[in-house]
Amino acid sequence: MNRRIAINIISVLISVLVTFLLTSVLIILIGKNPFNIFGMMFSEVLGNGYGIGQTLFKATPLIICGIGIALCFHASLFNIGAEGQLNAGAFVMSLVAWKLGTLPVFIAMPVSLLAGFMVSSIVGYIPAIIKIKKGVSEVITTIMLNFVILALINYFLIEFLAVKSTVRTEKINDSLMLPKLADYFNTFQGSSVNISVVFALALAVFFYFIIYKTKFGYQIRAIGFNETASKYLGIKTNLLIILTFMIGAGLTSLAGMNFIMGYKGYYELGFSNNIGFTAIAVALLAKNNPLGIILSALLFGFLDFGGLAVNTEIPKEIMLVVQAIVILSIISVNKLTEKYLKKEKK
Amino acid sequence: MDLFSSIFSFAFLAQTLRLFTPYYLGASAANFSERSGIVNIAIEGFMISAAFCFALFSLLFGNPFAGLFFSLLTGIILSLLFALFTIKLKVNQIIAGVGFNLLMAGASKFLIVLIFKSSSNTSRFESFYQIPLLKDIPLVGNITGDYIILFSFALVFIANHILFKTKFGLRLRSAGENPAAGESLGVNVRLYKLYGVIICGFLASLGGIWLASNQNTYSDGMIAGRGFIAIAAMIIGKWKPLNIFFACIMFAFFEALEISMQVSMPDFPTQLIQMLPYLITILVLIGFIGKTKPPAADGVSY
Repeated sequence: MNRRIAINIISVLISVLVTFLLTSVLIILIGKNPFNIFGMMFSEVLGNGYGIGQTLFKATPLIICGIGIALCFHASLFNIGAEGQLNAGAFVMSLVAWKLGTLPVFIAMPVSLLAGFMVSSIVGYIPAIIKIKKGVSEVITTIMLNFVILALINYFLIEFLAVKSTVRTEKINDSLMLPKLADYFNTFQGSSVNISVVFALALAVFFYFIIYKTKFGYQIRAIGFNETASKYLGIKTNLLIILTFMIGAGLTSLAGMNFIMGYKGYYELGFSNNIGFTAIAVALLAKNNPLGIILSALLFGFLDFGGLAVNTEIPKEIMLVVQAIVILSIISVNKLTEKYLKKEKK
Repeated sequence: MDLFSSIFSFAFLAQTLRLFTPYYLGASAANFSERSGIVNIAIEGFMISAAFCFALFSLLFGNPFAGLFFSLLTGIILSLLFALFTIKLKVNQIIAGVGFNLLMAGASKFLIVLIFKSSSNTSRFESFYQIPLLKDIPLVGNITGDYIILFSFALVFIANHILFKTKFGLRLRSAGENPAAGESLGVNVRLYKLYGVIICGFLASLGGIWLASNQNTYSDGMIAGRGFIAIAAMIIGKWKPLNIFFACIMFAFFEALEISMQVSMPDFPTQLIQMLPYLITILVLIGFIGKTKPPAADGVSY
């Protein structure tokens, strides 16, 4: 067992190394020095409390969203629609929080989070039911839903709900704003990192237990491993696929908490900045293990904020390429280690 | 002109037939790949990268045919890379597709900023010269004068013939239906999967090229999910070239409708009109009868 964990960690490290190497090649190709670029990133980001705080701030929604996607991955469900799900949930979350602003926090907060969660779950229900009833891959339906949801939000926001000449909702009551870490630790001064990061960490631990230590987790992993066999074992596969998709999609909405309650106080068009797609790479790099997701989200948070720090040298869009390289290197390294282990057994 | 009369105009029909092109190229691309047993959800990415490369190389060489050639070449090289992952390394095909979509969309975005110093589009370029004589036919000139449109209509019959009337097609399909049986009869299954993936990359790239040539520029987001809608068309067309033809005509019809609505109903919220193609895709997937039946060994590594 320990050896297995060690092999997993080594293969992840190799993937990270491959990514850094390929990224360096890319940087050299456009005529820059990778040592300078990475050096700049490290000193800008990790050299001070603000940079570290911002990395944590960027990692928070990636952890939450990554867990939602990983949960689906465990059941072999490819949820490419996190971007739409999380926007739908966060949008409604901000509206409910705004409307309930005057109620006591212990009512208004859970109700708005729950509302967001439920809306995202419903969005997750659609691809799940189509998959079960029609056998249509969730990949297509979730992508189509992304377009539909973003258009709908755009419509409701601009036609009815946005503050004049902006693309954002009304600000929620101050009582619903989460405390910033800078309020407790002076080092984070100026950074937007807030209590949501603690919530995200707790969520990761909680889902680690759900996935690996409960019957529910065992069953969804069984479905992911072999759906037909699971059915014969008496697992209610259809019900579990729907449940997993709904919980996974619901979780993505909570990523909105970091921005809405923790930072700006409102929902804004484009706030998600592709978190829903980055989180796919986050989950894959962590092999869908919630505890691993914490680390891989930190890496992506670092790259995200670091990318901004070196934007004058290299367009920050390079991070999209880096994400793709992460995905492709982790899946190929996984396969190569599998092959290597099989050979060793012989 | 109100919406109703514009739908029954000849211009609307011509528009539908033009818009059919990228859908059919994308859907046939996906079909050739899936018939050989490889699920390629990166059609969108191939279209994006081809559209971008076409713009880039056309500008670089000052000639759209050079752009066409190098863009297709890039598409084929990328499909060889995709084959390396899915056929050689046998990684999960869906995840590889997600990675390739991200890679090609991300690289195009990155290169636009790097080369054109713009966050959204390339410079404008001279597009294809139209086919002499054919382009002068009244009313239908902009259909019959367009190389790629003509090819995509011919493809309906070519694809059907190749897949169902030739030895090559039989072997390709055996790789997707029952690779072990094919192998026992002496078919080099993995070679045929490679053919499937390369044809897929070629056709999807051509779809992207058409979209860029139609606009005389590449702009970020211009493919707008057509690669995924094309896959939906393949599913609705039950992996048969002739049925896929009708599915693509349907999606082209709705896109033409979307454009007409924007013109004839200026008060109707544009967001809701733009949402239509995606919503309709979902509704059609829900509404069409019976469970889908892909090639038996589709997506299974061999």
